Amino acid sequence: MSGHHDHSHGHHDHGHDLPFWRKYIFSVDHKMIGCQYTVTALLFLFFGFTLMMIMRWQLAYPGQAIPFIGQYLSKDIAADGVLVGDGYNAFGAMHGTIMVFLAIVPLAVGGFGNYVLPLQVGAPDMAFPKLNMMSYWVYFCGGVTMLTSFFIKGGAAASGWTSYPPLSVFASSGQTVWLLGMVLLITSSLLGSVNFIVTTVQMRAKGLSFFRLPFFVWAQLVTSFLLLLAFPPLEAAGVLQLMDRLAGTSFFMPSGLVFSSEPQTHMSGGGSPLLWQHLFWFLAHPEVYVLILPAMGIVSEVIATNTRKPLWGYKSLVYSVIFLGFMSFIVWAHHMFMTGMGTTLSTFFQATTMVISVPSVIVLTCLILSLYGASIRYNTPMLFALAFLPMFAIGGLTGLPLGLTASDIHLHDTYYVIGHFHYVVAPGTIFAMFAGIYYWFPKVTGRKMSEFLGKLHFWPSFVFINVVFMPMFFQGMAGLLRRQYDQTEQLHGSIAHGLTKMSSYGAWLLALAQLPFIINFFYSMFKGRKVDANPWESTTLEWAAPSPPPHGNFDKTPVVYCGPYEYSVPGKSKDYCPQHVAMEA
Amino acid sequence: MNLLLASTHYGAWTPPLYSQHGGSIDKLIDVVHVFMFVIFIPWAIFFVYCLMNFRARPGHKATYTPIKAKVSKYAEVGVAIFEAFLLLGMSMPVWADYKNNPPAPDQRLEMRVVAEQFQWNFHYSGPDGKFGATRSSLISASNPIGLAEDDPASKDDIVRVNECHLPVDKPIYLRLTSKDVIHSFDIPTMRVKQDVIPGMEIPIWFTIDKNATTDSIRPQMKTVVPMDKAEWYKVRHLVAAVDHKVKDEVVLAKGADLGADLTKGKELLEQLRKKGLTELTLEPRNPLEIVCAQLCGNSHFKMKAQVMTHTAEDFAKWLTESSKKPEMQTDF
Repeated sequence: MSGHHDHSHGHHDHGHDLPFWRKYIFSVDHKMIGCQYTVTALLFLFFGFTLMMIMRWQLAYPGQAIPFIGQYLSKDIAADGVLVGDGYNAFGAMHGTIMVFLAIVPLAVGGFGNYVLPLQVGAPDMAFPKLNMMSYWVYFCGGVTMLTSFFIKGGAAASGWTSYPPLSVFASSGQTVWLLGMVLLITSSLLGSVNFIVTTVQMRAKGLSFFRLPFFVWAQLVTSFLLLLAFPPLEAAGVLQLMDRLAGTSFFMPSGLVFSSEPQTHMSGGGSPLLWQHLFWFLAHPEVYVLILPAMGIVSEVIATNTRKPLWGYKSLVYSVIFLGFMSFIVWAHHMFMTGMGTTLSTFFQATTMVISVPSVIVLTCLILSLYGASIRYNTPMLFALAFLPMFAIGGLTGLPLGLTASDIHLHDTYYVIGHFHYVVAPGTIFAMFAGIYYWFPKVTGRKMSEFLGKLHFWPSFVFINVVFMPMFFQGMAGLLRRQYDQTEQLHGSIAHGLTKMSSYGAWLLALAQLPFIINFFYSMFKGRKVDANPWESTTLEWAAPSPPPHGNFDKTPVVYCGPYEYSVPGKSKDYCPQHVAMEA
Repeated sequence: MNLLLASTHYGAWTPPLYSQHGGSIDKLIDVVHVFMFVIFIPWAIFFVYCLMNFRARPGHKATYTPIKAKVSKYAEVGVAIFEAFLLLGMSMPVWADYKNNPPAPDQRLEMRVVAEQFQWNFHYSGPDGKFGATRSSLISASNPIGLAEDDPASKDDIVRVNECHLPVDKPIYLRLTSKDVIHSFDIPTMRVKQDVIPGMEIPIWFTIDKNATTDSIRPQMKTVVPMDKAEWYKVRHLVAAVDHKVKDEVVLAKGADLGADLTKGKELLEQLRKKGLTELTLEPRNPLEIVCAQLCGNSHFKMKAQVMTHTAEDFAKWLTESSKKPEMQTDF
């Protein structure tokens, strides 16, 4: 490994001589790759949100033409400006896929992980820079593949982001493209995770023991193990489904199917639709933790810095995320309670599901106790990080009635589920991502984002995101089912239609609330107030590097002398002791 | 917020309940939510207290040493113990009750449910109690389950599409299967939900409340809607519960619906408004619905069946009358 280390240093001097396409396009620098990931993922985030805003029109005003954009949509998606059933399902499936696999994971892991992790461990770059570059470009190809599926005959995949066969096997060719896209995205994540693990284990600065690692690095390390171990089963499953669609196999297709009054005698049959669900959720439950652990990591960094005191229970946090990571592999079938599961299997899975809530409670407890006795600075990153706490708490708590089989009978596949996981991922993870962007922006650009615009972004976002998702719990209680093109077609959906409208208006207003962010992002990039290397007066190693850090990151290879969050140490002149500065005796 | 909150419970909390086992599910849902509030409220109060009390200000400094938080440890242990209670004391017994011990064959009404894109087919064995054979090669638009008419057992069988007749106060045993993709059999008002998976036959069973016949439920769900809140989307499945009169002229007769589609509905509501009607007294056309809870294709949202619940005598009468008809019933 040391040989590699030297190799990256060798590049240092040539950093500024690289031609444009080597520096900005096919870059091997973890920071440029991190930025590429971040920008691409933010674009996908915006695109995924746009799909949802169109769907929310159909939900609020079923069967009415979509204003402004309806006329530009293709016939597979909208007829006379009115979204059609297949179009709605395609948007739904693609919203889920894009948000999870193309927006949040790439942002949380590819973006923040790539940019911040090597800096925080004091490394000049990732362990395998070329693998890192490949990871981004494979992700990019996966994203383009997914997008092209909108333009092929029959439209994009429309069987939900879960793609349950036989529906997905009978589906139009958009599903094939979806599967190919997934194979690329999974490959990209695998390349990235190997890199993260090796970098963390092998390339830590001198003195940076595991228990001196910033919590963010721990969160990313556990996340990488989840990606490494959970994704291969889905990759295999994706290939099997591809074979079912293209090569006439029947891994997931049972015997005796009759589709549109046509007996499917050409199929060999004998497969199991449930096998796919097991393979899918074996990935997709750990995937939930891939979405949330980096968010917890970011929030912890922002909270530690802005409370001016050490995180409460650092070791408990670390043990909790390790335990969370482990447990996340043995809860998957709680997504499948309604498949006909008997008492034995359900006993196991609802018990593990209750157990996994314990470390989540510990993480939240540690973070909230960190506020006690603090000196809290209310800047924009801190507002987003603080908002994460109650939002994640609501998301977590509402998981309880879904994790218990008996209450899940009523709530399964309803809007209660949608509300639950969106509270975890939207005002949870996405708020944490915003916290991270505002927090590390000065490191990346050397300039600070506007506090005024930041607060103009935060407060309306906080209000409207709750307007979007809070009604969903009540709709779910009423029995309103998810994935309904026209909710008013069913009696209970029709009566609860007022809440649907409220949710839709919340979503559109939430979109408006993102304008200050977009303006702030570009304005601050060029015109923001210039700041020094450590504007938040923070302790971790990324702030020891210049802003923006040059190729090779540090002017002087850092040596670590203390733990990650030495704030307000009694008897010191300053209220923070950076990790790379030897404490005076 | 929601115009029918009080009268029908749709949109306020769980929907009305008409099955015997559903009460224990609702109780668990209630207990879990009380528990959630008991955790969240003190947590939120502490959170807000910290945010206000420990804000940065001149002269205020953070303390380096962590607080010794005994309360949080007790709280965490308390949460774990209560979760164990939810699991062992409530969820597991309710689930076991729901999944184990099917009703004895001589005490139950057994029927087959065959799901397909996008309809529910119901197969009754008829008075002889024997299901006729089915073959996939016989499936056609008029014979959706492929019932073999050469089988003597099929002679008195009844097949209904999107219309399910059930007796109250008698265990109902459904054998669920699907012809094509995965569906999910869901009756929100009965707290019954079960995925329907092709290649498998999955049984479920439940008993409908004694008093829950369709004819008695409908007036229970009667509701009064002020005219200015009567949006077509919200009233499209409701019908007039009484004759609506303006100056002795009937403007909307009992049983009349509020328009078949958005355009007609809007027009009708506008006319009624113009005639000076101030409020509507409505009840659901079909108060009990079977819906599909698992995405099954582009018309998934339309996949629903109406449930007609009858007293034992009425159900027996329906069964005999229906099985006498020689031709297949496929009325939608």
